[in-house]
Amino acid sequence: MSLEENLKKYRISKGEYGLICDQLGREPKGIEWALYSALWSEHCSYKSSKYHLKKLFSQSERVLQSFGENAGVIDLGQGERVAFKMESHNHPSFIEPYEGAATGVGGILRDIFTMGARPVALANYLCFGEPEADRMSTLVKGVVSGISGYGNCVGVPNISGQTEFHSSYNGNILVNAFALGLFRPGEKVFTSQAEGEGNLVVYVGAKTGREGVHGASMASESFDDDNEAKKPNVQIGDPFFEKLLIESCIEVMEKGLVVAIQDMGAAGLTSSSFEMSSNGGVGFDISLDEVPLRDSRMTPEEILLSESQERMLLICKPENLQAIKDVFSRWNLDATSIGKVTKEKRIKLSWRNEVLCDIDPDNLVDNAPLYGPEDRPFNAWVKTNRVGSKDALINEVKNYELRLLKCLSDVRGCNRNWIFDQYDQRVGAQTIGDCSGDVGVIRLPDSERALSVVLGCRPYMMRLDSAEGGKDSIAYPSIELASLGFEPLAVTDCLNFGNPEKKELMTEFVASVQGMSEQCEALKAPIISGNVSLYNETIEKNVTSTPSTGVVGLRDSVYGPSNTIKKEGQVIALLSMEQLKVSGQYAEIHDNQPMKACGEINTAATAGFVIDLRSFVLDNKVSSSKVVGKFGLAYTLARMCMNGIGATISTDDSSKLLESTTEKYFAESLYQVVVCLSEDDFQKVNEDDYRNLEIVNLGKTGGSKLVIDDNIELSTEKLIEAYKSWGEHFETLA
Amino acid sequence: MKKVGVVRFLGTNCDRDIWQACETKGYQPEWLWHEDNFDINNYEAVIIPGGFSYGDYLRCGAMAAKSPVMKSVVEFAESGKPVLGICNGFQILCEVGLLPGALVRNTKGMFVDKWIELKTENPCEHWGASVKESKLPIAHGEGRFHIEPDQLEKIKKSGQIWLTYKENPNGSVEDIAGVLNENKNVAGLMPHPERAMFDWMGGNDGFSFF
Repeated sequence: MSLEENLKKYRISKGEYGLICDQLGREPKGIEWALYSALWSEHCSYKSSKYHLKKLFSQSERVLQSFGENAGVIDLGQGERVAFKMESHNHPSFIEPYEGAATGVGGILRDIFTMGARPVALANYLCFGEPEADRMSTLVKGVVSGISGYGNCVGVPNISGQTEFHSSYNGNILVNAFALGLFRPGEKVFTSQAEGEGNLVVYVGAKTGREGVHGASMASESFDDDNEAKKPNVQIGDPFFEKLLIESCIEVMEKGLVVAIQDMGAAGLTSSSFEMSSNGGVGFDISLDEVPLRDSRMTPEEILLSESQERMLLICKPENLQAIKDVFSRWNLDATSIGKVTKEKRIKLSWRNEVLCDIDPDNLVDNAPLYGPEDRPFNAWVKTNRVGSKDALINEVKNYELRLLKCLSDVRGCNRNWIFDQYDQRVGAQTIGDCSGDVGVIRLPDSERALSVVLGCRPYMMRLDSAEGGKDSIAYPSIELASLGFEPLAVTDCLNFGNPEKKELMTEFVASVQGMSEQCEALKAPIISGNVSLYNETIEKNVTSTPSTGVVGLRDSVYGPSNTIKKEGQVIALLSMEQLKVSGQYAEIHDNQPMKACGEINTAATAGFVIDLRSFVLDNKVSSSKVVGKFGLAYTLARMCMNGIGATISTDDSSKLLESTTEKYFAESLYQVVVCLSEDDFQKVNEDDYRNLEIVNLGKTGGSKLVIDDNIELSTEKLIEAYKSWGEHFETLA
Repeated sequence: MKKVGVVRFLGTNCDRDIWQACETKGYQPEWLWHEDNFDINNYEAVIIPGGFSYGDYLRCGAMAAKSPVMKSVVEFAESGKPVLGICNGFQILCEVGLLPGALVRNTKGMFVDKWIELKTENPCEHWGASVKESKLPIAHGEGRFHIEPDQLEKIKKSGQIWLTYKENPNGSVEDIAGVLNENKNVAGLMPHPERAMFDWMGGNDGFSFF
């Protein structure tokens, strides 16, 4: 093969080729091509994003492990710790939705239990195209079935999710999987740092097959018309094997038999071995002949790059190998020593008595390319889509009731039971509530406190302005947590963007990440783990830049407010700190009006709002609450009536920024939260205790209708009926 | 203290939830590993938890039914001692012949997770004796109870229909959610009482089942 052909085959640029020759002092040969191809792919190396990720706010007193390991870990106090992370599986899911989504779940779970934490919660962030778009029905069905099929069998509950629909995802859907694991008091946190000369490198789990070879580099590329040919690059998962892997790994870790451990994910054996040795500052001597294979005719390159699922690599002392083998054998899995740890920091891969490569792992890991501003240029952010404070944000609405019902029945606003009724939400017997709530909650069995998981990022905010959208992707979920009494503690993210080689895209990336980091710092909630997925574009069209987030919060009590009205005769009030008013998604999609806004989110002020909001909720026995979000106040109030109890509302003083009735009902003012509490408790509130909150009495809960001023009067029955319109959008789904 | 054996197969995933439920009720749970027989005199009751034993390969519960531990479970049941099978456990008890009928794919072909209301048709003295009506969570893809018409008549006459759904979520014949054997010591149900032990779980009707 000519040089040109090799560069194309292994997806290595000319510049990168130059770097490789500098490192090696010669041209790459044989299997080295495959190693560089995998480890220097965008997916594995983060070469376009690392420069910026290094600047993220990523530490706090609670952080035990931030970036650098398979998942982030925070201390909850009382001996309890959690590990969590979020990851993308966009490209495989678009090609083969069931397996793409399933293996996305499998992959993120392994990142959790490789740290020594038993996985206890799953959540997923999904962005689909418009329902009528080509293949979209199939993709929705496939992705949901895949998450369901894998998560249910492996026995980890799905407790929360977010599903978006927009035409920018027509050619490139997003499937981001979140997982969280628990360390109970006394349980140890494990790392991937290999150590101990003479220790053994042990392969455990399922056998290695041909699927997924070159999966990592496939994910680092844009789609073109040739998607079918990419099918063999998609991995196949088996949740039963994963369940066995979870039990056996946790058992050997509990028994103190493991020195270090890492899962085999993107770029399979290659990434795990190179990262473990590099992290530990040691070398490995590996014999590829020892790798358990499904097909004995596999070449060394295939063995190294296979992304067969449900496999881990661990380091153990030689005297513990038999005990490890016994545990894995009991769980019906392979455990084979494939090499040993050496003092000299070099990775030697041999096969059939031939040394195929002898290389310094740092070349491929620590010294992978890092593209800064010269290679991936970007501009400073300039505010976009702004209008004056007196300019109308959305066109006057003639029929308010009709608009409200349309918001409820819109695919972006209707109920999602079709999706999450397919997920086991309660296995583990610690789930509080279920996916119908705005956040997911589980109980911590030892301290009996409540832990919450909520996903964030509103793509329409990103289409408005990348900086505001970035701040909002942290602020909004944190406000959702605080409105239920949770304290936001830490964040994971999944940065889904288009082509970083395009300046406008890189500009959006930098602005979003800066906005996110700034809001995290103000909240003292660091980003401790995450994933970057670039090149989400199909034939040159980029997706909406979507930095999805997962925020974890803590509350002392398992009991808290609900998101729907539960009690009649209570005061219904609005708690606000209005900084930015936004036209919103309905006008964008249905009236063809691009997003418009006036104002700016002040991250420090927002952090103050979060703190006071949480205090208000905990101090005053708030019985139900909901953050005013997509589609505005009327929709938010209607959602609160889904339990059957209505409310009577006056919006006279509901907003300082929104003026017209149309805007008060259907535009958004960031940020506002609706709360319900008893008349007595409301009277007792001392506003001075909550300097960051504007408190306005909207009216009373009760009755079976939602009445808003003299303009809207709809029975809760009618609201509920409009809300249940999922089926109309996806008639073909069984 | 009452010793309760909790069966574990490869792929059982509600085992620790059952262990927890047993401890909550003041029993002493012990694992019964799929590869081992056990002495039936050692336990006062045996529970087979839910999950995806053997990944539901072949048919739900089919492979589990052939395991060594089930030989002991059959012996235990035939001695008249109480056995409870939940979800996959129910499927396994049907596969092994300790309970009548079979569980097949939900009519709509999809996994369903939700709270449902149940009516006790014929109480079981060992499991939930005092329960007349209850609200429990279900989570299954293969929960549709199926039985041949002549067998259906037989179990109706002998009072073996234990629980029925108020609103059938999966197409089960005669809305059957749980059944008993002739001797009324072996019980199987699709819903998960261990997921309804305390009100923070969303309901505590499950507490009385154990």
